[in-house]
Amino acid sequence: MAAVEAGTEARGARRPEWLENIGGQLLAVLTALGIAVLLGSIIIVAYSAGTGVGEDPITVYRAILNGSFGDKNGFGYVLANAGPLIFSALAVSVCFKGGMFNIGVEGQFIVGMATASFAALTFTFLPAPLLVLTVLLFGMLGGMAWAAVPAILKVKTGAHEVVTTIMMNGIATSLVAWVIGGPLRYEDTGGGFNVNLRTDPFPDAAMIPDLGHLFGIRSSARLSWVLLLALLTAAVMWFVLRRMRIGFEARAVGASPGSAQAGGISIGAVQIKLFLISGALAGLVGIQQLFADQGFLPAGYEAGIGFTGIAVAFLGQNSPVGIVFAALLWGVLARGETSLQLETDMPREFIIILQGLLIISVVVTYQLAKRRLFARQLRRAAAVEDLRDSEAPADAGPSEGSGDEGEVR
Amino acid sequence: MGSNDDGAGRESASPLVVMQGVSKRFPGVVANDDVTLDLRPGEVHALIGENGAGKSTLMRVLYGLYPPDGGKITVRGREVKIASPRDAIALGIGMVHQHFVLVDPFTVAENVTLGDEGGPILHAEDAEQRVKILADSYGFHIDPAAIVEDLSVGEEQRVEILKALYRGVDILILDEPTAVLTPAETNDLFENLRRLRADGKTIVFISHKLDEVLAIADRITVLRRGAVVGETSPAETTKAQLAEMMVGRPVLFRLDKPQVRAGDVVLRVDDLRGGRLHGLSLEVRAGEIVGVAGVEGNGQRELANAIMGLQPLDGGHILLGDRDLAGVSTEEIRDAGIAFVPEDRHEQGLVLDMTLWENAVIGRHDDDEFSGRGGVLFIKKIKELARRLIDEFDVRTRSIESTARTLSGGNQQKLILARELETDPRLLLAAQPTRGLDVGAIEFVWGQILQQKAEGRAVLLISAELDEIYALSDRIVTLYEGRITGEFSPDTPVEELGRAMLGGVVDRAS
Repeated sequence: MAAVEAGTEARGARRPEWLENIGGQLLAVLTALGIAVLLGSIIIVAYSAGTGVGEDPITVYRAILNGSFGDKNGFGYVLANAGPLIFSALAVSVCFKGGMFNIGVEGQFIVGMATASFAALTFTFLPAPLLVLTVLLFGMLGGMAWAAVPAILKVKTGAHEVVTTIMMNGIATSLVAWVIGGPLRYEDTGGGFNVNLRTDPFPDAAMIPDLGHLFGIRSSARLSWVLLLALLTAAVMWFVLRRMRIGFEARAVGASPGSAQAGGISIGAVQIKLFLISGALAGLVGIQQLFADQGFLPAGYEAGIGFTGIAVAFLGQNSPVGIVFAALLWGVLARGETSLQLETDMPREFIIILQGLLIISVVVTYQLAKRRLFARQLRRAAAVEDLRDSEAPADAGPSEGSGDEGEVR
Repeated sequence: MGSNDDGAGRESASPLVVMQGVSKRFPGVVANDDVTLDLRPGEVHALIGENGAGKSTLMRVLYGLYPPDGGKITVRGREVKIASPRDAIALGIGMVHQHFVLVDPFTVAENVTLGDEGGPILHAEDAEQRVKILADSYGFHIDPAAIVEDLSVGEEQRVEILKALYRGVDILILDEPTAVLTPAETNDLFENLRRLRADGKTIVFISHKLDEVLAIADRITVLRRGAVVGETSPAETTKAQLAEMMVGRPVLFRLDKPQVRAGDVVLRVDDLRGGRLHGLSLEVRAGEIVGVAGVEGNGQRELANAIMGLQPLDGGHILLGDRDLAGVSTEEIRDAGIAFVPEDRHEQGLVLDMTLWENAVIGRHDDDEFSGRGGVLFIKKIKELARRLIDEFDVRTRSIESTARTLSGGNQQKLILARELETDPRLLLAAQPTRGLDVGAIEFVWGQILQQKAEGRAVLLISAELDEIYALSDRIVTLYEGRITGEFSPDTPVEELGRAMLGGVVDRAS
């Protein structure tokens, strides 16, 4: 065995495979970014030519970046928005690893907001850290409960999760509208006139502290500890997917249900577990806007993050690390919408176009990169095969390279 | 379509195609090294070699899928550059790949005429008529109006061949055409090929099944590690010689069966019903290999899946020792001591996109040895296991971090065997264990199965290859329409077995 590896090494395959993977991914990402920027430039030029607004790509891109990198506060906004996006994209990716599309992150996150609000308004007697934890727990439970329905329907009846989760989204919106207008409605008017439809304000103990002031970012950016929680969650999800049984089973079920099943893995059990994890993650999406920003649940809460998460998950290729970067990139673009309008004559829709271009180019380049990498691996495997006769099949035993990964040297 | 202008010359004629000094390199590997090959009109030319010997690569060069790095190709005396399959077809060269590319919901005629419909408005009946005439002219039995997804594998293959013929090719490359066929379908294919040859078509038959090559080929070219090691004909050679040329060393075809006295009954399958199974019963003892012979589609797959708990049952018992495993989860069945080598290693054996070390532990990943109570995998232990298995079973790979997809079929099967046998099972259930493997790998797999018997384990072997059944089994049972129709010793003549395989239990006449 060792001789075989040495033999292939000699044939010019020196780079270890894991490094090749990371290097390849980086290259793919940069290429994708480049392509999207290039296509965007064409659109900018065409738009200026067509409308006579006289914009050039460099000014436009600079304006977009200015929104986030012009000053600290701008980037503070990006970071603050990244948290919910990370939770949402992680929720999507967990199901995706197991070969399922959870389109219901939106509904799960909305229900999670309602249950978290309920906890914040009910367990007011708890001290600050405990109340925050309770709020997080209730958010997750709400998301899980909402995710359990399509999961059980899928496993028990075979109903496709795309259809059921979309239906559950609609129900969630109406349900939460009723909750805000009914059971959790603003009662403590403080003698004033109740204009907005919303819940009571949450107690201070439920609020998540600001993080931005540590870095000199103003508090209106709402950069809070939620970001750290999101980063931590991404790390945990990496561990769960790569180093834990459930992640192993999830990837096996996603990549080859038949082989997983023949190996004794219960597909239904794995699917339900994944949906519950996904729902729990979705339940954390609304934490930032409720407990780091608003301080109550308004009827006009910011919706749609569950759907944006699908785009971010794609952009991050469903890997926790990729998702963190994708969420930041997404945030930079979203932030650029404002600065673009302030500094140039480009319409804001250009940002949406750019986001779309980015996703398409990432998906395409990744696919191509994967194919290339696979072809290369295959050729090397063939080279190893060819060595089969050149050496006696004498049992060398696990002599060399037995200790650590022979390929990481 | 039936006419062709160049094939008239027959044997004496000058070669139709000459590939001279063709080389094809991929980074790090030479797939074809200075290969010279000529194809004559009206011959079946077998191209044989082990997996990875460069047979398919060479033909892909000829079909315009790979540009050659060196050498020249002459077709009908003219030097040509073939840059794409379109060029190849224009030169009269067609290829049928191992994996078919058909549109399942379309009819046979639609598939055959696809891309060559003759105008924007479809005339379904015209197309069917044309395809029917074409099929009849070569004696292909196929209904042009049939939907492809309803066809058997053998029929689908005929559609692929018709696709090439419809485009007027007179050189037909078949890549491992019999790998997916039953013996009966193989015979039909050979009948068709003989008709085509009689009509002056040239057929390149890529294979590693020596009996078939000897039965159908006019000339045989042997490739080993990208180079031609010899050219011969069935009259001049034997199976053993061909095998030695392919592998580079002598190969045994009959392995010595170890003499083991059969012990207690390990597996008793009793009146199994469900799906295609209609009251199937059999027994396997310790130290015994029982071969299940039968034409495919008579319940082989269902039998294996039922034993492994992968398909619902309507009734019956599966006793391993004293324990009834019917209705029990696959995980428990494995824990009870059944190891499974599935008939489809891609669908039921390996997760192709996962690494070798991950594949090495599937099914055992929840053992205390490989993951903790909290569900954390012991990566180090798993990798140690993977390294050991790969060493012991001589799985050729660059690293355990490679994906299972990068392994050749033989190495994939070795990895599965290594994983399954590592558990020290009471019963080995091996379904079509050598399907698609080359001679060297078959020898290895057979050796492993016999080894299990020698160590006193029970083996249930389900195979469509009668050679394999005869070579390994201590007892042979025949499966027909979900029932066992007979039990035989391995000395029984093939004809008798064949009758039982076709349901003729009581048919003692003739």
